[in-house]
Amino acid sequence: MNFGGLSRLTRFATRTCLLVALLLTGQAPALASFEDILRKAVRANGFTPAEETHVPVNPELAAQGKLLFESTHLSLNGNISCQSCHLDEFGSADGIPNAVAVGGQGKGAVRAMSNGGILPRNTLSFWGRGGVGFSVFFWDGKVDFSGKRKISQFGDAFPSDDPLITAVHLPPVEIREMLAEDHIVLSNKQESPKAAENILKVVTARLKQNEPETVNEIARLQSISLESVSFVHIATSLASFIRDKFRLKETRFHRFVFKGAELTARELHGARLFYGKGKCSNCHSGPYLTDSKFHAVPFPQIGFGKNGFGIDYGRYNVTHNPDDLYKFRTPPLFNVEKTAPYGHSGSVATMREAVVFHFGPLRGIDPTRMRPLDRHEYFKRLAASAEARILTGFLDDEEVDSLVVFLRTLAF
Amino acid sequence: MKRSLLIGNIIVIFLVVSYGTVDYGAPVLATHLWREDYKNLMFKCDQVMREHYIAKRAVELSPTSETVKNLEATEVGLLDCHEYDKLRKRMLIWGLTGPQLSLIGLEALEEKKYELRRFVETHEIRY
Repeated sequence: MNFGGLSRLTRFATRTCLLVALLLTGQAPALASFEDILRKAVRANGFTPAEETHVPVNPELAAQGKLLFESTHLSLNGNISCQSCHLDEFGSADGIPNAVAVGGQGKGAVRAMSNGGILPRNTLSFWGRGGVGFSVFFWDGKVDFSGKRKISQFGDAFPSDDPLITAVHLPPVEIREMLAEDHIVLSNKQESPKAAENILKVVTARLKQNEPETVNEIARLQSISLESVSFVHIATSLASFIRDKFRLKETRFHRFVFKGAELTARELHGARLFYGKGKCSNCHSGPYLTDSKFHAVPFPQIGFGKNGFGIDYGRYNVTHNPDDLYKFRTPPLFNVEKTAPYGHSGSVATMREAVVFHFGPLRGIDPTRMRPLDRHEYFKRLAASAEARILTGFLDDEEVDSLVVFLRTLAF
Repeated sequence: MKRSLLIGNIIVIFLVVSYGTVDYGAPVLATHLWREDYKNLMFKCDQVMREHYIAKRAVELSPTSETVKNLEATEVGLLDCHEYDKLRKRMLIWGLTGPQLSLIGLEALEEKKYELRRFVETHEIRY
């Protein structure tokens, strides 16, 4: 018997059968548990159902907070409210690179071109702020209640144990944010909790005078007399509104992870990259898709920067620790598609570019067109981002597109 | 008799054509269809394996929550190798041999050699 011939015949028959099977089914069988592997990885990264992040609020207090959110009387000498820069149409941000605060007019591009005071940072959205465990606020974490020692510009005399209430105290005393730089402010300009306290006292008095019904209600709801109302009660009401209005809601991704709903193949691919090869989840983790820590991502810098001359030292401005130079808090990602532009100075116009610049920052710059100082600063930001050698993975253009498609599942 | 011969001939022709298609045509077609995909997936698998190894070493050297989290991400990243394995097996079924697949893999590895050659061609006149 010719075994070689028999073996060849068997091989031919087997391959024919497999080929026919492949042609009929179109593809080889997929990993049946692939979605489950992903769901497990997502949960392991601390992602929770949206309702688990909710902090109960008094709806009546939140309703008064809404009136304050829209009121220009929170601004001592300007014509600006919280709502001027936190707009629904821009996903609770303002849609422009650097915030244009006190003195600014209009929305979006119109506001950017108006003659308002420029804050050298990109306005952050509010989603999830004040939720369970959300304790680090602002790009540089100038309100940070995540550690044993609570950090805020109020030193040890922080106005509340609630980080959101403490954070709400800052915009009304921030020059060019809600405080216009007039001659009185300029002549009394000093960075001290006492100075801030004085301004907040005046703001509270103005609110009592101009929004008496609101302040009366706030007093009643917090069981205090009208005379006893101070800014912390105002801030508590505002915080209730922010907690309520900007609470996380269920997204398609939540439904995929916790309710077994399906994502498209492209979205799944993006999710796999986010929690896998792209390593986005190294920093964008937890219930809010942020680790609340500080990292240097060398986005281009635009505007004059917090430290002037186009420089922004980020977290260093809070800690004065050279290790924190150029670091910013990882931003949460809910509704990210609505909150362009991106980065601490809003220098990145699209989600796609924002993804690319995380692992390929050199694609965002042309060193030959930079001023020498800008080039030097960029080199330093690149050096500060050295941890990215571990924390990011390379993605090709198709993968970047998938990741962007996935990020859209985080909208509500 | 003639009818039997005709049927016999048809069967033989069918077998020869089938054999030729499966043994020679299919591998050529598969190569044509999936060569670039194969190179791409091979690159991706290689990349995630390297990242995984680096992440493992990072945990060994410094077992922190950050390095462990990074390692877990690279483990999910290894799913890219599943795609590569699937395509490799599909191409084997379509009749490509291991050495033929290795050759395509080598082409992927050496893709940058053309840049090197271009560089040498441009500059060798100076030597």
